[in-house]
Amino acid sequence: MPSALAPLPDDIPLTRITCTINGEQVVADAPVDCTLLTFLRDIVGLTGTKGACLEGECGSCTVLIDGKPVTSCLMLAGQVNGRTITTVEGLADGDALDVIQEKFVETGAAQCGYCTPGLIMSARALLNDNPSISESELLTALEGNICRCTGYASIVEAVRRAHRELKS
Amino acid sequence: MFHQPVDIETALRLRGERPDATVVNGCTDVSVARNHGMLHPREVIDLSRIASLKTIEHDGDNLLIGAGATFAQLGKCHLKALREAALSVAGPAIRNQGTIGGNLVTASPAGDGCVALLAMGGDVELASAARGSRWVDVRAFFLGYRKTELAGDELVTRVRVPYNPVTRWYKIGKRGAVNISLVCAAVARRTDGSFGLAYGCVGPIPLFAPKAERVLARGPLTDALIAEAADVVESEVAPIDDHRGSADYRRAMCRTLTTRLLADIAKNGDQGDADAFSAGAAA
Ligand code: FES
Ligand code: FES
Repeated sequence: MPSALAPLPDDIPLTRITCTINGEQVVADAPVDCTLLTFLRDIVGLTGTKGACLEGECGSCTVLIDGKPVTSCLMLAGQVNGRTITTVEGLADGDALDVIQEKFVETGAAQCGYCTPGLIMSARALLNDNPSISESELLTALEGNICRCTGYASIVEAVRRAHRELKS
Repeated sequence: MFHQPVDIETALRLRGERPDATVVNGCTDVSVARNHGMLHPREVIDLSRIASLKTIEHDGDNLLIGAGATFAQLGKCHLKALREAALSVAGPAIRNQGTIGGNLVTASPAGDGCVALLAMGGDVELASAARGSRWVDVRAFFLGYRKTELAGDELVTRVRVPYNPVTRWYKIGKRGAVNISLVCAAVARRTDGSFGLAYGCVGPIPLFAPKAERVLARGPLTDALIAEAADVVESEVAPIDDHRGSADYRRAMCRTLTTRLLADIAKNGDQGDADAFSAGAAA
């Protein structure tokens, strides 16, 4: 398997990317074939977003573009030109955690934590969209995210609690 | 260079002028190739900004689907097979990215969207700046393993399928989501009474089963006729053994899926949301 941070061939031309990440405007150059994941982690320096499979199987690289979840390993950085991106770093307000993060802590939904940013972003997209969701919609929203450690029960419970709190 | 045309004319001109550029839309398949080191695009034509490629519209007897329509969009389609095929693709994030045009051009034998289209029947619009557009029967689009009718200077722009066939879909895989088909099947009864049968992962390209379709054309859709057609399907598919499953298993599942999906149409007709399977019954 290739490494998430495999060196890019160094003769790939650069493209200029202007976008909004977590509320701040970012202007940076990236190689034409750079993925959004590598752009966020290595060029912008936001390492909260994780990469594991690099082929769309695990969801650990999930970020939001214009509020919708996408797998950042499966798109090119140039594609986000002009777009608004939210990563896990964009959720907390200083020390005040987002309600989903809070509930993940409360239910112990992270062990190694590698899947956590992706799961939280998938859950965030769901709860942004739907103040009122069914259990099956909740499970569908998380179906693209794999966790090696927790067995999922604590994760699903965290999202349920966040949903309940947002609704009330 | 990273081109982001916002209209189709510009995209076609670029495609004609830049034969070595990599065309992307959702970019999910191209990214996997890139991450595996098989491809390092130096020039990209990104179609994802072309709004007119994303529309899905009712046009008389047809549904016109922009090549850039995502699986998330198709997951709301009224056609049951297309909707369920779309929702069986990956997870919600990738369904926001992957497009039906990309599914066609990638031409994987496991292309769930391709299988649904083959069963319903329809046409694919291929366009170039030099020669304008042409409609190709979706059944003539796949030429061989990952080879299609698309010429080097063309883009897939639209797909046209009949608006109201009765359709069914089922996918067998190892888990409920982020799941590459082990076998998938789509069946359709068109308004003229003819049937379409299509299968994924049982040959080098997404396959359809013309001989079995001819059996069904004799009608009416009795258990005996369905059984005869399912027999013929077994001889029409060409699966291989691989790490996901054996050829024998796949062939047997083509028979089972054909039987159950057709029986469901015979019983429930256009009650599209009736489920052909109780949970887990097909596994
Ligand atoms: S790293 Fe992107 S889906 Fe696994
Ligand atoms: S906490 Fe380790 S992968 Fe989920």
